Amino acid sequence: MDNLIKTLQDKKSYLDLRKQERVTLLEILDRALEKGVVISGDIVISVADVDLVYLGLKVLLSSVETMERLRGAPFSGADEEPT
Amino acid sequence: MKIYAYGVIDSNEKIDETIRGLNGAPLFNVPYRDIGIVVSDLNAQIQKEDKTSVLKHEEVVEMLMDKFTVLPMRFSTLFSGKEHISLMMKNYYDDFIGNLDRLREKIEFGVKTIWPGDLIRERITAAHRKSDNLPLVASSSGKSFMNEKFENYKIDKEFEEEADRCIAVVDGFFNRYVSEKRLEKLKTDNLLLSAAYLVDKEKSDDFKKAFEELRSSGGDLKYLLSGPWPAYNFITLSRSMDGKFGGPDLIKTILQHKDPK
Repeated sequence: MDNLIKTLQDKKSYLDLRKQERVTLLEILDRALEKGVVISGDIVISVADVDLVYLGLKVLLSSVETMERLRGAPFSGADEEPT
Repeated sequence: MKIYAYGVIDSNEKIDETIRGLNGAPLFNVPYRDIGIVVSDLNAQIQKEDKTSVLKHEEVVEMLMDKFTVLPMRFSTLFSGKEHISLMMKNYYDDFIGNLDRLREKIEFGVKTIWPGDLIRERITAAHRKSDNLPLVASSSGKSFMNEKFENYKIDKEFEEEADRCIAVVDGFFNRYVSEKRLEKLKTDNLLLSAAYLVDKEKSDDFKKAFEELRSSGGDLKYLLSGPWPAYNFITLSRSMDGKFGGPDLIKTILQHKDPK
């Protein structure tokens, strides 16, 4: 994500960058906390609070759609490789 | 002492141990036959609402992605000892090999499409009211109630058909460049499409060009491209309990608990 911000620094406003950062984090959350390899059974310990991490961060970040509506601006920059 | 797992890789070799994982702990590869799982020791708890840990997890997985084919673990996968890791690798070996072969040299892109769903629904509703000459406020009679229900059903159906048409157009831009895809329609009225595409690395520029073509095609739709990502959305395990420990299920449980109806 740091690379992304560096890449866009010259051509984006601060607000654009903040928005971009949040969109990127949302995309990461949707993957790292919802997808990927899930191991079943007693041999794995799942952090009990992981669901709260997901819920908490989602609430803090709102959703992509809501951000888009509230800010009223198109995804300027968000379509340019956020990783 | 617990062991935190980041991802399974197609190598049983040592990895660069100067690279750090959660809480600054060094990473190491635990080999099993011809593959391995990259882990680090974890002494402390992962804090609630701590995005740093999630970002570190992702950073490590993306770093692995640069050098290996990687199957990212879901955030928070912990083991209590190396013997448990070995047991898990033995149990899942065939699954891991199958996925590593299928996902080799492939990356994931995300495409989200937002449309003015509320306006489209309003337009469809207005057209129905006009053509059917229905009153804006339903009377209390049973017949009117049923008419209203049927009318809403037709509006929903037309709304979904319109969504299907738009999704087919959007998806059509990418079809020729993708190996697999996961499409989610209308997660909300305005989030028309949330798509994950699995793309050969060598076709990633073509995929991005296709996105640019889509974006410049005009219209009311807005698009978000993200990636390249590790192939989080395309891992299929025969013995997975996917969802049992996942965020959304617990969220549902919490919501149901608060709202028992």
